[in-house]
Amino acid sequence: MNNEQQISILVLDDEPVVCKRLRPILEKKGYAVETFFESEEALKRFKEKPFHIVITDLKMKGLDGMQFLTAVKELSPDTEVIVITGFATMETAKESFRKGVFDFLAKPFKLGEISDIIQKAEVKVRGRIS
Amino acid sequence: MGDRKRIARQESFNVFFKTFQKILTANNQMLAVISEMGDKLSGDYIFDSQYIRSACREAEELTQELITGINILAPGKYTGLNDAFQHIQSEIQEEQAGRPVIPKTDHIMLYHLINRDFEDVVGAKNANLGEIKNVLELNVPDGFAVTTRAFDSFMSVNNLWDKVKTITDAWYNKKLSVEKASQQIQTLIADTKIPDPLKKAVDKASGLLYRGIKGQKPFLAVRSSAWGEDSGHSFAGQYLSLLNEPADHLLDCYKKIVASAYSASAMEYRRNKGFSEKEVVMAVGCQLMINPRTSGVLYTFDPQMPERDLMLISSTWGLGAPIVDGRSASDHFQVNRRFPYAETLITIAEKTEKLVLQKNGGTKNCSVPNEGRTAASLTPKQLKLLAKTALMIERHFKTPQDIEFAFDKEGTLFILQARPLNIQINRSMIIHDLPDILSRHPILFGNKGTIAQRGIAIGKVFKIFKDEDIDVFPLGAILVAKYTSPRFAKVIRKTAGIITDVGSATGHMATIAREFRVPTIVNTGNATALLESKQEITMDAEENNIYKGIINELRNYHLIEAPIEETFEYRLLRRVLKKTGSLNLLDPTADNFTPSGCKTFHDITRFVHEKAVEELINLQYYHHHDPKTATGKLKLPVPLDLVLIDIGAGLVVNENEKSAPIVPEQIDSIPMRAFIDGLLMPGAWDTDPMSVGLGSFMSSMTRTFSTNMATPKDIGQNLAVISKPYAHISLRLGYHFTMIDAYIDDNPNNNYAYFRFLGGVTDITKRSRRALLLSEILEKNDFFIEVRGDLVVARIKKLTTERMVRKLYLLGVLVGFSRQLDVQMLSDQHVHRYMENFNQLITSNSNIYEHEGSHYEQ
Repeated sequence: MNNEQQISILVLDDEPVVCKRLRPILEKKGYAVETFFESEEALKRFKEKPFHIVITDLKMKGLDGMQFLTAVKELSPDTEVIVITGFATMETAKESFRKGVFDFLAKPFKLGEISDIIQKAEVKVRGRIS
Repeated sequence: MGDRKRIARQESFNVFFKTFQKILTANNQMLAVISEMGDKLSGDYIFDSQYIRSACREAEELTQELITGINILAPGKYTGLNDAFQHIQSEIQEEQAGRPVIPKTDHIMLYHLINRDFEDVVGAKNANLGEIKNVLELNVPDGFAVTTRAFDSFMSVNNLWDKVKTITDAWYNKKLSVEKASQQIQTLIADTKIPDPLKKAVDKASGLLYRGIKGQKPFLAVRSSAWGEDSGHSFAGQYLSLLNEPADHLLDCYKKIVASAYSASAMEYRRNKGFSEKEVVMAVGCQLMINPRTSGVLYTFDPQMPERDLMLISSTWGLGAPIVDGRSASDHFQVNRRFPYAETLITIAEKTEKLVLQKNGGTKNCSVPNEGRTAASLTPKQLKLLAKTALMIERHFKTPQDIEFAFDKEGTLFILQARPLNIQINRSMIIHDLPDILSRHPILFGNKGTIAQRGIAIGKVFKIFKDEDIDVFPLGAILVAKYTSPRFAKVIRKTAGIITDVGSATGHMATIAREFRVPTIVNTGNATALLESKQEITMDAEENNIYKGIINELRNYHLIEAPIEETFEYRLLRRVLKKTGSLNLLDPTADNFTPSGCKTFHDITRFVHEKAVEELINLQYYHHHDPKTATGKLKLPVPLDLVLIDIGAGLVVNENEKSAPIVPEQIDSIPMRAFIDGLLMPGAWDTDPMSVGLGSFMSSMTRTFSTNMATPKDIGQNLAVISKPYAHISLRLGYHFTMIDAYIDDNPNNNYAYFRFLGGVTDITKRSRRALLLSEILEKNDFFIEVRGDLVVARIKKLTTERMVRKLYLLGVLVGFSRQLDVQMLSDQHVHRYMENFNQLITSNSNIYEHEGSHYEQ
């Protein structure tokens, strides 16, 4: 693990429980994790430092998730974005994929489901950076 | 009967059965929604408050459907259900709006009734102490809480709420200094008369408290217990504590404590921390004063250097207030967090003064006699006891703890307060190292079975194969067993974690594990084979991995994270589940089995279902010749009269056989057929070792009386309402009432079985033994059990068709097997023996049993 570059993940969800639950799981796997409750804050941070993987909610106050992920993709097209949302519709899913989202997950979901997706995203990211 | 009349009646039957079916469907959906909400709490899921909103809405709609249904079946009979519904609904809406409701409880609550679920009612400090006293069974001075409800009624007198708001607004708008604002509010409170009902309640509670201590004049410790205090934010030292107060000062003390909520420093503290003044809700704890020889404070970690794995203890002679206030010299000890809790550093201070109780109330300083000044105020033995106790509390609350304690003159340890300890941890260092440390420890197995309670457990494996093993269970070990058993409750306080091969996350044992917050993984398949006795393991029940060896870093990592259970969404889901999912109406013969007794949506669901079946049975009974249903007696090779009512595709009836008795082969109802098959399993009915005379007497009792002679109420005939996926079976065998309600189709989410067993001809001891036997057998077969005296309620749900069918078969065997056992339950050994008999019975027919349901395999 030490020889490989550490994969960085940004998690954005305005409900603290999501960040809180995801963080330990990702940290124990060796990812560098930063969590945000507000999209403006998250975007500010992303501009300072692009992340390999972004996990974001869609419905948020202020800058919503769709705007946020659009900005992320513009800043760093190689960043893999995973959308998690409690208001999953066919429309939002389609729009997300059009914007180049890696995967789309409806809340509530099982920890195993998101772990699998992140792992796949990691493989893709590593394929690119090696 | 005229044609028109006949048609009208037939139409009303149609409506009746359609409605009954609808009730069944809504009932099933409701049970599914409730159990899904419970699943979310298990920690295997990530959810948000949107989920909670939509689940509540679904539960609301289903409950309304149920009420509409029963109002059609029994017009005007259960109008109280609407009130019950509206009441529950408005409480849920308040919770969701994030306005924690000051619960409409009594003004006081006795300590022996308090646990952490009552934080809203009694404040955090009282709730923690109640949990320690009642769940962990540690010594806490007896007492009672003056509730948040009491505070609300005090503040409502003379419009105190409004007056306080005017003053705090002025302060927020900088028109008033904080000192002035505080002084004005405190004067208002001092001048307010305590309302009579509150005064009476306090008098009554103190009366009850004093009854326990004959002869002596009682003195009390009166302390604040506000919302939020002692939880995430400590409010340490913001509010008042009064020591050794005579009983007749109690009401004055109460006002002083309430006033302390508005001290200038408390008001500033709240503003700095972003609390609104609306969130000031103050409960008060009143406890018997103990006269300590030594008091002190324990931190379960060194807050500055948590990685050192040490506990810090400060202590002094007499009362502990000087330590807490930092006013006087005290002894300091460092104790290793690991057994045998070795002392690593001892610093004895020169203790010239101590704070002691005054004879007529209050406290005073007095000088310490020479020989005590440089002596240690705690013995090595006391230090070990403290360490052990503190770790137990920490494990329970899942965060590092800041604990106040005292040893009285007899040497008994009392816990006076416990709250989360904030520790300065170098998070980035742990995070940096943890993945490497984890990768160095082999995973013995992972992702097997289900997490029933999250957490990290570290310890040695101890396997339990037989009951005697429980008696020698070592403190702090990890319990590994084939089955879950309610008997493990005996050692739950000693257990670091639990892993079983078989068992369900909703079983009785899982419930106990959750109550005690012991990390638990069930249904792993073969943990007993994969783990060795005395092997040291680290059990990660956050992510379902079992590591070889001890990984303290993993535990520390999770200790620095505030437990996920305490996040807003988890608390909200727990609170709304209390209003939706809890079941209070267990026994339909109990007094509270009424519309107004319904406190949750689950209660309403249960009530409606029970009454709908009752209506159906009555209708069937009083109107024999209903054209829409096939009704008839079932012909069985055992002496049991059973009337079947088919309400939809539960029977295969040929035109020419219509008048003949029904044979089991005709039953097409999935649960009914499985039940009857079980009942008829070789040996299930005729394992009867009783004398012939008594036996024949008993079997005659299983014949129901002629259906024309008595109403179902009088005699309780053996009756089953069935359809293709459904069976409602009520039996009166001997003197027992058995009720089974089951639904099985090809969607596991719809499936459930409910079993209830009550009554018996013999004395209560024998009946309780039988209840024990039944519950043990059912528990081993993954049922969720509740036992009250001789009432046994067992539930299981969401299994595949095949497995559900096997459960119904098992219930059939069990009903046959147990129908007169209470007569024979002469001693506790019999419980064990009959349990073995039952297992043998199943084993010797395993070819049949294993085959049962296999044709439903998908």
